[in-house]
Amino acid sequence: MTETAPKGATIYAVEEYTLAEEPYYLPIGDEVELFESAYEQHIPVLLKGPTGCGKTRFVEYMAYRLGRPITKISPGSGRHEEHRVPLITVACHEDLTASDLVGRYLLDVDGTRWIDGPLTRAVKSGAICYLDEVVEARKDTTVLIHPLTDYRRLLPVEKLGQVIEAADGFLLVISYNPGYQSALKDLKHSTRQRFIAIEFTYPPREQEAEIIAHESGVDRATARDLARLGEKVRNLKEHGLGEGVSTRLLIYAGKLIAKGIAPRRACQVAITWALTDDREVQRSIEEVVTSIFE
Amino acid sequence: MSQADSILERYAGQLHAFPAAVAASFAEACRTLAERLPPEALDHWARLGMQLAELNLRSFEAADEFFRASARLAPAASTEALEAVAHEALAIAADSVPLATAFLRAAPQALEGFGFEHFEQWTSLGRRLYKGNWKSAALAGQFFETSASMAGQVRLGQLSRLVLFLDELARHSYELASACLAQVPTVFQRLGEEDRLPYLTYALELAQSSWADARLYLDRGPSLLEKVHQPVRERFLLLAAQVAKGYGRSAFQYLEAAAEGLAELEPDQHHRVIELAEQLAPYSPEAAMEFLANVGTVLQRIRFEELEAWHETGLRILQTSYEGGEAYFRLQSAKSEEMLERLSARVDLARVGEVLRLYCKALTGRNVAIQNAAALAEKGIGWVDETKASTEGTTIFLPERMERYATKEENFAAYKVFATHQAAHLEFGSFEFRFDREPRVFERTLPAPASANGTGAITDMERYFDLFGDRQLASDLYTVAEDTRIDAAIKREYGGIRRTLARLQRDELARRPDVRMMPLRQAFVENLIRFSLDGSEAIRWPAARSEPMAQALAILSKLQDPEATVEDAAEAAARLYRIAVTIPNVFEEAEIEWQAVEPAESLSAAMEGGKLGPEGAEARLGDVGLGEGELEYTSPPDPDFRGDFKPELVQLLMKLREDAQTGQAGSGQPMQLTPEQLQELLEKSVEIDLDALMEGDLEQTTGLFLSNLQKEAGTPMQDKKDAPGRPTSDQSTGEGESEQPLEPVVSVYYYDEWDFRAQDYKPRWCAVKEMVIQEGTEEFYEATLREHAGLVAQTRKQFELMKPEMFRKIKRLRDGEDIDLDAAIEWMVEHRVGANPNDKVYWRRNKVERDVAVAFLIDMSASTDEEIQKRDKRYDDDFDDDPRRYLSWWVSKRRHELSHPPKRIIDVEKESTVLLMTALETIGDQYGIYGFSGYGRDNVEFYVIKDFDEQFDDRIKRRLDKIAPIRSTRMGPAIRHATYKLLQTNAKVRILFLLSDGRPQDHGYGRDRTEKEYAIHDTKQALLEAKREGITPFALTVDRAGHDYLKTMCQDMGYEVVADIESLPSRLPALYRRLTE
Repeated sequence: MTETAPKGATIYAVEEYTLAEEPYYLPIGDEVELFESAYEQHIPVLLKGPTGCGKTRFVEYMAYRLGRPITKISPGSGRHEEHRVPLITVACHEDLTASDLVGRYLLDVDGTRWIDGPLTRAVKSGAICYLDEVVEARKDTTVLIHPLTDYRRLLPVEKLGQVIEAADGFLLVISYNPGYQSALKDLKHSTRQRFIAIEFTYPPREQEAEIIAHESGVDRATARDLARLGEKVRNLKEHGLGEGVSTRLLIYAGKLIAKGIAPRRACQVAITWALTDDREVQRSIEEVVTSIFE
Repeated sequence: MSQADSILERYAGQLHAFPAAVAASFAEACRTLAERLPPEALDHWARLGMQLAELNLRSFEAADEFFRASARLAPAASTEALEAVAHEALAIAADSVPLATAFLRAAPQALEGFGFEHFEQWTSLGRRLYKGNWKSAALAGQFFETSASMAGQVRLGQLSRLVLFLDELARHSYELASACLAQVPTVFQRLGEEDRLPYLTYALELAQSSWADARLYLDRGPSLLEKVHQPVRERFLLLAAQVAKGYGRSAFQYLEAAAEGLAELEPDQHHRVIELAEQLAPYSPEAAMEFLANVGTVLQRIRFEELEAWHETGLRILQTSYEGGEAYFRLQSAKSEEMLERLSARVDLARVGEVLRLYCKALTGRNVAIQNAAALAEKGIGWVDETKASTEGTTIFLPERMERYATKEENFAAYKVFATHQAAHLEFGSFEFRFDREPRVFERTLPAPASANGTGAITDMERYFDLFGDRQLASDLYTVAEDTRIDAAIKREYGGIRRTLARLQRDELARRPDVRMMPLRQAFVENLIRFSLDGSEAIRWPAARSEPMAQALAILSKLQDPEATVEDAAEAAARLYRIAVTIPNVFEEAEIEWQAVEPAESLSAAMEGGKLGPEGAEARLGDVGLGEGELEYTSPPDPDFRGDFKPELVQLLMKLREDAQTGQAGSGQPMQLTPEQLQELLEKSVEIDLDALMEGDLEQTTGLFLSNLQKEAGTPMQDKKDAPGRPTSDQSTGEGESEQPLEPVVSVYYYDEWDFRAQDYKPRWCAVKEMVIQEGTEEFYEATLREHAGLVAQTRKQFELMKPEMFRKIKRLRDGEDIDLDAAIEWMVEHRVGANPNDKVYWRRNKVERDVAVAFLIDMSASTDEEIQKRDKRYDDDFDDDPRRYLSWWVSKRRHELSHPPKRIIDVEKESTVLLMTALETIGDQYGIYGFSGYGRDNVEFYVIKDFDEQFDDRIKRRLDKIAPIRSTRMGPAIRHATYKLLQTNAKVRILFLLSDGRPQDHGYGRDRTEKEYAIHDTKQALLEAKREGITPFALTVDRAGHDYLKTMCQDMGYEVVADIESLPSRLPALYRRLTE
């Protein structure tokens, strides 16, 4: 990434914020073609994979590729200008309810006023709606998206007594991290079986090195060392690490190194300490770091 | 008539009164003396003799001895001396004739040895021992004789100290004093002149404080003292004497331990160590002795220069607390351990094993274990060296400790290199050699895969080695080739340890044996090893023969290519072998010039281009045979950090493991190694040192080896037994976990123990042995439910009420799921009337979770065996004293007793547990039930009745039955272990419930069995630790006296004393409810 001049915060309206440049994405397999076909055929897509392996980046990249700018909003942010929003990302959390997605009445001076939720907006404007970490959301939300994800493509809005037929460009994309698997946080089969699933894993060493080099600006040798480190640390998966180190963290480490931080130190803050609080595991990762970096 | 005759005549009459022997000795002495003494003196002498003889009834015996002594004294002694002897004898004989006799017997020797000037002093020493009874007379007599026999070698000063010692001992036991005295000559002989006084000083001190050990001291003292450097022996003994003053009975043990401790040091260190001990003595002589006793152990961990820092810390502790300081120097305190650990440059595998395990796991991506190398040797599967790093494919074995460098960091770095090298064998596929895979950087010159089959080899590695005539040489070359490849890969991939690796390689190079002293072929291999250690400059080779060496080095350097695989290493080894066999294994002439060799620029045609047909290759690889003047080839030593490399054995093990697994998964037959195959392998392989493995004859060894190997690989030795009535585990898992081990699996955990006197932990003091309790019958469980049916239903209902609703609607929120209609209308009304409306009009459903884990810790000490209600007198009252009905009465009583056995505390504990379990099952809390007992700190038994992750089922019911009174109550470690168990759960609320019948008590849990404080404080500390971890401890006791100690033990923690034990079954669930609501 090229360096940008320091600037103050800029406020965009939800729809006005678009990404001018093409997001960097290095295809590992045939995921781009798969997604394009699915989009054309209105088939909802489930992206599986551990955190920080590029799922979100992939959706952004696909939105861009499919000729659409990108917008991010968070649920309940209260914006109500009517605009077309081509990609709406909703980060799901455990208190995310159906009304957060569909919309709700707000109090106004003269009574109540309806406001569309992000899902409704996406359905209306024909956008890609990306529900990140969908298992985190409450169970009722997943049932809500059922009629949207089969041939009907309908969104019932109970409180308004309406049914909205999705615009042509609408596509529901959800992501899901199988690493967290617990009885509570698993997708229902009735939900699962409405999506095609594209699996993401961390990229192979060479590609990952390329991504790190590109994103962080370190030289290839360092990038390769970082990728190797990533591979080694991922071997420790079940030791309190939930998942291995993400490509994102490796890139952070790379960025610090590119700014002149000593590699060992950069890995310590970006990887070792970021990954775990367990002293023993920290020490072990540290040893791997000191083995790879001088 | 001679002078003598006249004297004889003069006294003949008087002598007549005594036995003839007296007259005879008088006559003889008289004749001898007459030659030297003037007549008056002779007469005077005779008169004194007569005086002695007539002193009392038996004094003639003394006189007889006097005459003999006089005869012996004659040549040297002066008249004065004779007179002195006579006067002393007269004085002594007045007290005791036997003593006088003994004195006279010893006198000549004593006079000669000590000289006349000290004679009187000597005499008085002996007389001091005489106390007026015959025992003391015997002792004094013995003293005269013994000391006289040593005269000349011993000073009077020493004797006077000895007398003090004997005098002291004699106060307790004359026998002991006499026995000790008998030993003195031997002791003195063994001791140096200057050691004797201090030796006796200590003896005196010992006699005063612990006289019974005196004999032991005399027995062992000299050899103990020899362990102490001579110049400081005196100070050592004086120090020990101080301890003896204060610590009566164990004084000698301290001395012994301290001497043994010093023996482990270099003599020149003794001086400083004693000085350090002397600094401790004013505070606590015991601490000083403990210091000496343990200094050897300490110095195994830290260097001598660091000892003072360790001592200093201990001294400071000692100044504030004697108990603490003593524990410190006894090495029974966490502080001392911590200090040692900090000072020590040594790194113990036990401390870094876990880090290294994860490290190796990260590197290899496999679940490798890390173990002490000794553990591998113990397995008896071919590895014998207990100190060398190695791997057998699943576990990396490392030396127990690393202390080659001066700092911890360097030592750990070295450990890391050791571990990395072994991990790299796994990571870079050293054991994945496949005969049919082509090398990548070389062209194959080994026979084609198809050509060499049917050799009956079990593994590819074996098949490869089968090609070579000299297997040892081939193995060495393969090892050096593979290590070259591995070290190159490590340097390439792990830049961070390059420096330490280089350092180890350099150190290794410095240690290599002189290549010029080796026969040529051996020198060839040695040079290859040096090259592999990055030591090209250390290569020495006869100048005239440089070409093959250069070629060999070129081959080896090709293995540093990133592309090189294990097959390349095998190929390279084969090529090296061909070169090696052309080099005769002879000594080069002495004056030949040895020079460095550079790798050849290019491989010669013979090496590279001359691709050999299968037959040719085999011919070249074939048997070498000894040429004229050639020596048998022996291997140069392996570089230390690379450890033991046994590819052939590892491949065999991996193959066995694989077969064992596929065999158990039900597909394919497990390959059984026949003893014949193994025999062949054993004899062939150079990796197995038969002599080192040998136990009994060859056949026995082979058998043992076979069974060890199979055990290691997990090959089923017998037909699988189907456990009856249990569903067989899913075959597809392939895990092959056996269902139920026959013997209880015991895992041992170590915990510190709190010593409240020292205010410090005793590190790793208690061993908690965790095991699953045996299974009994379900009968107990069912019976309890029947008996308490009402209570069960009631508790269940109560607990069901506790079950939280999953969601609770919370109203009046500023933000929420939806608008609360009532609130909204209210708002609207208020808004319309112009009041200030409350804008909290949303509601939201909140998830309420009950997340509780509880560990029940049941006291299974022997005291729970006590019956609660003694069978009352009902039966006695029944009996109407009619003897005819006695029998029937007794039978009915007995029957009743058998059907309703008296309840014991443990039974009530068990019943309560059952009730609580049913309640807990209702509410769905995680729970574990554990029992504890044991004896002593090494034996804290921790029984698992239900572990946290176990489901409640019939097995658990059967286990409940087996809860029974066993032994003591060491609560601290049991609580610590339960805490550990609780911490493994992920619940938000954790509770530790302790159910006991009395105060903690165990062997060694306090100064003696009756001391309560120690145990109570440790238990309290354990409960506090649990609390610090966020666990809520709760103690429940049925001991009515419980208030006394529970107040101390639990302080601000919850506890309850259940006075009426029979109410426990209803009380326990109620308590639990209160605790978690």
